[in-house]
Amino acid sequence: MLPYGLVTIEDRVARLLTELPPNPQFPTQGATLFVDLARRQVRQAYTPRRIIETFLAGRGANMFYLYRLLDESLDPIDPSVPLIFGSGVLTGIVPSAARGNATSWSPESGVLMDSNAGDYFPSFLKMNGIDHLVIYGRADAWTVLWLGDGQVEFRDATPYLGLDNIDMRDRIATDLGGTWTRDLAMANITRAGENQVLTSAIMAGPKACYARGGPGAKMGSLKMKAIVVQGQTHDFETAQPYKQYNKEIATKLLNTSVVKNALRTMGTPFLYRPSRVLGAMGTKNNQETTWTDRLDAENITPYRPGMAGCFRCPVNCRPLNQLNDDQADRYGRGDGPEYVTLGKFGPNVGIDQVEPVIRLNNICNDLGLDTASTGSAIAWAMELYQRGIVSKSDTGGLELTWGDAELVERLLFAMSHREGFGNVLADSTRAIERGHYPTEARKYCMAVKGLMQSDPHDARILKAFALGLAVSTRGMDHLRNRVTLEINARINDDPGFKAKLYGGPVSAQPNNYETKERAVRVCENIYGVGDAVGMCRFTTKLFNSPSLPGLEEFSSQIANVTGLEFDADVLDRIGLNIMGVERLINHRLGVRRSDDTLPDRWFDEEITVGAYKTEKIDRQEFDAMLSRFYAISGLSDEGVPAEAWRQELELVLSGPA
Amino acid sequence: MSITVRLPTTLQTSGQDSLTITEPVENIAELVRVLRRQLPGFPAQWDDSMLNFSVNDEVVLHRAEERVLASGDVVEIILALSGGTPVPRSAC
Repeated sequence: MLPYGLVTIEDRVARLLTELPPNPQFPTQGATLFVDLARRQVRQAYTPRRIIETFLAGRGANMFYLYRLLDESLDPIDPSVPLIFGSGVLTGIVPSAARGNATSWSPESGVLMDSNAGDYFPSFLKMNGIDHLVIYGRADAWTVLWLGDGQVEFRDATPYLGLDNIDMRDRIATDLGGTWTRDLAMANITRAGENQVLTSAIMAGPKACYARGGPGAKMGSLKMKAIVVQGQTHDFETAQPYKQYNKEIATKLLNTSVVKNALRTMGTPFLYRPSRVLGAMGTKNNQETTWTDRLDAENITPYRPGMAGCFRCPVNCRPLNQLNDDQADRYGRGDGPEYVTLGKFGPNVGIDQVEPVIRLNNICNDLGLDTASTGSAIAWAMELYQRGIVSKSDTGGLELTWGDAELVERLLFAMSHREGFGNVLADSTRAIERGHYPTEARKYCMAVKGLMQSDPHDARILKAFALGLAVSTRGMDHLRNRVTLEINARINDDPGFKAKLYGGPVSAQPNNYETKERAVRVCENIYGVGDAVGMCRFTTKLFNSPSLPGLEEFSSQIANVTGLEFDADVLDRIGLNIMGVERLINHRLGVRRSDDTLPDRWFDEEITVGAYKTEKIDRQEFDAMLSRFYAISGLSDEGVPAEAWRQELELVLSGPA
Repeated sequence: MSITVRLPTTLQTSGQDSLTITEPVENIAELVRVLRRQLPGFPAQWDDSMLNFSVNDEVVLHRAEERVLASGDVVEIILALSGGTPVPRSAC
């Protein structure tokens, strides 16, 4: 289908530009730049008020642009499919709101690609007066897009070809001048992106990256090596004073115990222990669900010289690492690991020591690989090898043995270069479709909608987690809607408080299917709004704590910053709208109800350890829970907005007749 | 009566990673009352709802206070995946 009868991306952009206002619609709004890499043209407009009022900015308005410009008759890596960056309404302005999204059609999953990153790049975009970048067309030669002082330049990227993240950041800082975190920020790809590895990320810092769905491969397909933003940080001219309320938000963040006692001291690796003790730590591609205490966060402490953070974030939750004093050891120090990486390169591939996990983390950061999909692709291959579905003749003689850290290291480089068996791993969930694996391999692929599971938590026990992973619009990912508080006994045992959090009763039993859909709905809405304002997930209400900033605080600060009035109920509706348009996009890409599901293993195999031994997902109960989720979300039986709501959304999205 | 309580780093203020409770306690609710008295820092973190319990390596995720304890049990206090607000309950 060619939307609006317009054949080319140039036609669609031209049509869209006629509808967009040429001036800001509210204080602090940045421009949308339409960047045609093939023609080296840049055009500018602003997101209309009706879109802001329906979806906000960041992830929300990104969906508007994708909806209007996507031609689903093409292929995800076709240069006419745009890559869209968006910063949130409050990105760079509010403490812990340092995030932005990169959106497209995922080359990895084949469904919506929407990936979120922090560090400094999204905030620097916003400070340079840019809310969205819509990039399309394949450059004739590898290009660095340079932004600064209100200018856009297309610069030669040839000198940077073949550079991975560490060298790329060194070279850019040397060549262009400036200091990271002060007046220089960048989103770049590595060799993995150049080679269109489907698990490749767009790096936004030493570790921070737009990771999920193969953004690096998408950017590589456009022959764009990097986007560099230069300029001094500054304050924004806002509708009303906002700094006093910023102080209140910062105080709230820092007084929250999970921030104070865990995130600021250990970072996210503290999450490993509760999952493993629960018997919910994905191990050996989720064949098992618990693993050694040697990977508990306390064992990483000796290698943690300090913590780092994103732009103007007081939390500083990013653990740094140092394995040794050898400056010649390229991977002897770095940034991370986060809990996801710890799980994916620890239990998931059978590694039981922290040192190799830290080293593999540092390698992934340099190679620009999404640790979630990369670790999962390797674990999947290891299980296929264990089962004899692939053999040494398929792997080029490699023995894919659980726990072999040296092997995993070799595989990472092979993936990045698409060499040997690395070329198979580089195709991630598409390995069957591309003829690398037989179809029986699908049974062991821990993915939903073509995207490997984001985090290591095995969700056979916690049914709200399971539903969230099934309905997430970008595939199997916990950051879209996880009802994390399900794992807190004190909250589970207080029905009144729990009902207040979710706007109605939610079962106390974490392994019960009843009423969990309500909690997933509420979380999906608030997290969607969080992405649209630019707030970090870790510091958004309900993800790590009930007392972190949520819709009320977003409402107040949006009013202060922009002058736009959205009460909490309106913001909640905006969160729902974001999910709605994402489902409309996915429907165009062929997603149906049957895709809102889980890996076979979770339906067929029981948990064998811990207090919830014998737990698995019951197909009938799951299907009923999914139906209830659709009903309370206003979705049809096929999982798209029901007719009246669909018409409303399409009217807003399609713009003036 | 002897119950071993393993502590998370956030409660290891005296350098010990565990303590032994010898007072008679029938369940977690009673254990919490003892820990409130004996363990510095515990009341604030408990009231802030960022702690879970496991008993003999099995995490208790609901009806936690009713969980019966017996002499010889090993109870572990685990940082929850969440937490950060006083839960408005009067018990414990």
